Formats: sequence, C-alpha cells, structure tokens
Amino acid sequence: MHLIRIALASLANRRFTALLTVFAIALSVCLLLAVERVRTEARASFANTISGTDLIVGARSGSVNLLLYSVFRIGNATNNIRWDSFEHFANHRQVKWAIPISLGDSHRGYRVMGTSTAYFEHYRYARSQALKLAQGREFADDPFEVVLGAEVAQALGYGLGENIVLAHGVATISLVKHDDKPFTVVGILERTGTPVDRTLHISLAGMEALHIDWQNGMPARGAAQISADQARAMDLQPKQITAFMLGLNSKIATFSLQREINEFRGEPLLAILPGVALQELWSLMGTAEKALFVVSLFVVLTGLIGMLTAILTSLNERRREMAILRSVGARPWHIASLLVLEAFALALAGVAFGVALLYLGIAGSQGFVQANYGLYLALNAPSSYEWKLLGSILAAAVAMGSVPAWRAYRQSLADGLSIRL
Amino acid sequence: MSRPLLATLLLSLALPLAAADVRELTWSELIPPDAPPQVINPAPIHDLSQLADALAESGPAAMQQSPAAPVVKELNGQQVKLPGYIVPLDVTDEGRVVEFLLVPYFGACIHVPPPPSNQIVHVTSELGVLLDALYQPFWVEGPLKTEHVSSELAEVGYQMEADKIYAYELPDS
Repeated sequence: MHLIRIALASLANRRFTALLTVFAIALSVCLLLAVERVRTEARASFANTISGTDLIVGARSGSVNLLLYSVFRIGNATNNIRWDSFEHFANHRQVKWAIPISLGDSHRGYRVMGTSTAYFEHYRYARSQALKLAQGREFADDPFEVVLGAEVAQALGYGLGENIVLAHGVATISLVKHDDKPFTVVGILERTGTPVDRTLHISLAGMEALHIDWQNGMPARGAAQISADQARAMDLQPKQITAFMLGLNSKIATFSLQREINEFRGEPLLAILPGVALQELWSLMGTAEKALFVVSLFVVLTGLIGMLTAILTSLNERRREMAILRSVGARPWHIASLLVLEAFALALAGVAFGVALLYLGIAGSQGFVQANYGLYLALNAPSSYEWKLLGSILAAAVAMGSVPAWRAYRQSLADGLSIRL
Repeated sequence: MSRPLLATLLLSLALPLAAADVRELTWSELIPPDAPPQVINPAPIHDLSQLADALAESGPAAMQQSPAAPVVKELNGQQVKLPGYIVPLDVTDEGRVVEFLLVPYFGACIHVPPPPSNQIVHVTSELGVLLDALYQPFWVEGPLKTEHVSSELAEVGYQMEADKIYAYELPDS
C-alpha cells in the first residue's frame, strides 16, 4: 500500500512527462479498440442484413457484386433481367416466395427500391426478424406511393402524407429529377439497423410509371410528356427488374435450383447463396482487417516503448530519490517494485483514458457514421475479446516496467548512499 | 470400495457407451444400398448437334438432378458423426454460422451437377461455428433425421441438430 502511494507521489512529481506518456498510451489504446469495434460492427451489420433468403438472383456478374448491390445498396447493377425470367422462377415448384427488386433511382442520396408487397411479407433480417411498419401502411395499388426506411424519415424529417420527388440516378445531389411525378409517403418502417433504413420503397408499377415517358435516355419534352394521372391509367406491368430474392420450400434444394438458374437458357442469370457470398466478402475484407489490426498493435507497442523510454531516462535523475528511500529502510526489491508499479499505473491510466476516449468518440460520431456509412456503433461494454486485449496491454506494460526495475535494483545495490552524480 | 477399483468400474461403464453412442458415417452410407445405380449417359464432348442451342434461347432446361433421391430410413434418430464442408445459410451477428448445409465436397466445381439431395445434410446448431474459410472441412456430430415424403413436392433429405462441430484434421499417417 505504501509502495503504491510512493509510486503515485513520485509520478505526480513528474506529472508533465507522466501525462504525456499516459496520453500516448491512451491514443494508441483508443485506436486499437476503435479498429476492433469497427471491424466487429461492420461484420455484425453485414450478417444482420439478410436472413432467411435462400438465393439471390441477378444479371450475371460476380457473387459479391450481386450481394452488395441487391442487399447492401453498395455499387450498381451491371444489367437488368427480364420480367418473364422472374416469373419463370417465381412459379418454380421449389420456390416458396419471391421478391422482385428494381434499383437505380434515388432521393437525396437515399436509394429507391422498386419491389412488391412480398418484400414486407417475406424479407427477414437479423435472425429471422420481419419488417414492421412504425406508421402508416404498405404501398397499395396507386403507383405513386412510397414507404420510407426509418433513417430516411428521420434524417429528412418526413411524415405520412408528405409529397416527395425522386431523382434519376444515385447521386446525392441530382440534377435530373422526376418532379412531374411526386410520390406520397404512406408508411414508415421501424428501425432495423440495416440498409433497409436508408431505402425508399416503391411499387414496381411506380418504378415503371416514373420512367414511362423517358425516351432516348432523357425525360420527354412538350407533348410527349405523360402526367402522373395519365400514367396511372396505363399498363404499368414492369418489363424488367434488377434482381430477385427467393425463399425455397426445402433448403436441400438450394444447390439444384441455383444450378438451374445459372444454366437458364432464357438469359444469363447468376444465383448466389447469400451466406456463401458473405463469407467470400469477409475473406476479402479479412486481409485489410488484419493489416489494420497489426498496424494498431504496433501503435500500442510504440506507446508502451515511449513509456519505457520515459521511465528509463528518469532513472538517472532519480538516483537521489532511490538513495533516500534506501536510507529510510527500503530494500532493493522495494525500489524494483516501485518502478514496476509506476509502469503499471501509467499503463492503467492510459488504458482507462483510452477507453474513455473511445466511448467519447463513439458517442460523438455515432450519428455521422450511421448516416454516412450505415454502420451503427453501439455504446456497448467492452466485449470479452476487448477485455483480453486491454489485459494483455497491461501485462506488456508490466513486463516492460521490469526492465527499468531491474536496472534500478542493480543501481540501488551498488550505489547505496554514496552517489557520485 | 477402493478408489482405483471405482475408477476402473466407471471407466468400463463409460467407454462402451461413448463408443456405441456416436456412429461415424461416410457419405456413401447415406445412399440406400438398394438405390438404383446412377445411369451414366455418356455424351460426346464435342457434340456439334447442340451448337444451335447455344445461340437459341430455347434450349433444354438445365440438367435436373434427382430431386428426391432415396434416403436410408434406418438412420433416423441415430447419433452420428459426419465429415464435410459447410455452406453457410444463416449467420449471427458475431459471425457464427448457425444454419448450414453439409456437403461432401465444396462447390467451386461447376463442371458437374450439384450433389443429389441424399448427399446434403441440412444442419442447425444452437451455438454455431466460426467459419474462417469455406474450404475447411468439419466434423459434425448429432442426431440425424430423415424427412418424410408427404407429397411429390416435398423434398426428401437429411436433417441434423448438431451437438458438436469441430475442425476435421487429416489423420496422421
């Protein structure tokens, strides 16, 4: 107990160096934990986004690409697929349900997805949770109705009954808008913590109506324009969609249906198992994650070495301190444990300060990260893995503290009271 | 009773139990012995008569695997242990695979049709398994269930509620 008091008092005497050391360790610990947090949260949010879907089908590209644009709204589709291909497989005897997806438009940076009501019924996230409406209802027969994700409604301050204009393309600031055909908000979904929150859902008919007078890749002018009311009266059966999700009667049939879709003669299609594509994505990201982790480990090591340097350089100045301690009856091992305690105290303060810094950072950036990267960083207590990391940092600090401790031990044995400075 | 004697007694009781409980299966044991042998239909590799189909959109549909391959009904309820590759279906947010298909080979091979339904086991697991790579085999242990055929549509197949999942290592030779 006395030793701890003496160690702390000695540190307080050198508070400027001590504070700098603590700050260096804190920053490195914060970085290490932040990398770990972002990594696990990114994985969790990816894993939580899709559940219960057996196959995702789109135009032939790569499996990761298809997964990213169809489920995570990252990147863009390479091509559309025909409506009759969708119908062919939606009516397949192995298929229990099918959700068509049509992408490509946006509203102030949030993606618009054309789909059917099957989406609200069958789409599952985070271990089989269904989508729930927080307010209003699903879109119905009128093509110009939109159901908002929670985040869209919150960030843009939209309520039920609001009229909004969708934009062509997926840019945040869009120059070409479908302003002749405004949509009415009829429903707002509950928050899911997935990309669904950042999506505006319209019916496939709505998607079709939006583009009905688009000729030659630009909106119609003058007499060729079709108003929203005229569009309502027209045949809005979609000719093509971007992708579709399938739920099967039996999981065992997954491979055979996947094969059948991939060999479909009607048009080139690609069917993927979301779980497998996700695993492929993770193994891609794994390398980058490991690199980041190693870098942050080295930063922690640098922080600890900084501490070691600070203690070692102070040893010479403190020979008199040691001598006085010896004169009042401290044994050499007292001196040694004093220094180990000092290292431990510095590291502990650094770790505590680092964790505080991390939580402060998360609390501060939560909204921004969620809005810009769709990543929800929760203010959770450290996980067991994080505790282990923190514990090993402390252990490393104690191990490093034993180097100056050993030197001080030798010096105090040799010096006694007669120091020649 | 002396302690070593008790220990021996307990051991002798436990050993045969542990050995008899879990039956180690191979994939070929999942096919009933009386199942009709596969008919190999050798097609010429360079079949020029099919060339037109490559361009026409109306070719034959994809090769249909036997959709309801027969299962060995005697295996129903048996505690078994089977090696295979994991094809993840459902993943928890910690990245643990809690639902997957166990297959005898991993699917990078697109030259042959997928395995028939009696060579796939649909496994669910409470705890799940952390999957680092898709190309890593695992032992899966638990009671095997054979699904019943109720209608023409229903798929026959094996299901398992896994008790234990652990990495498969090559036996030392």
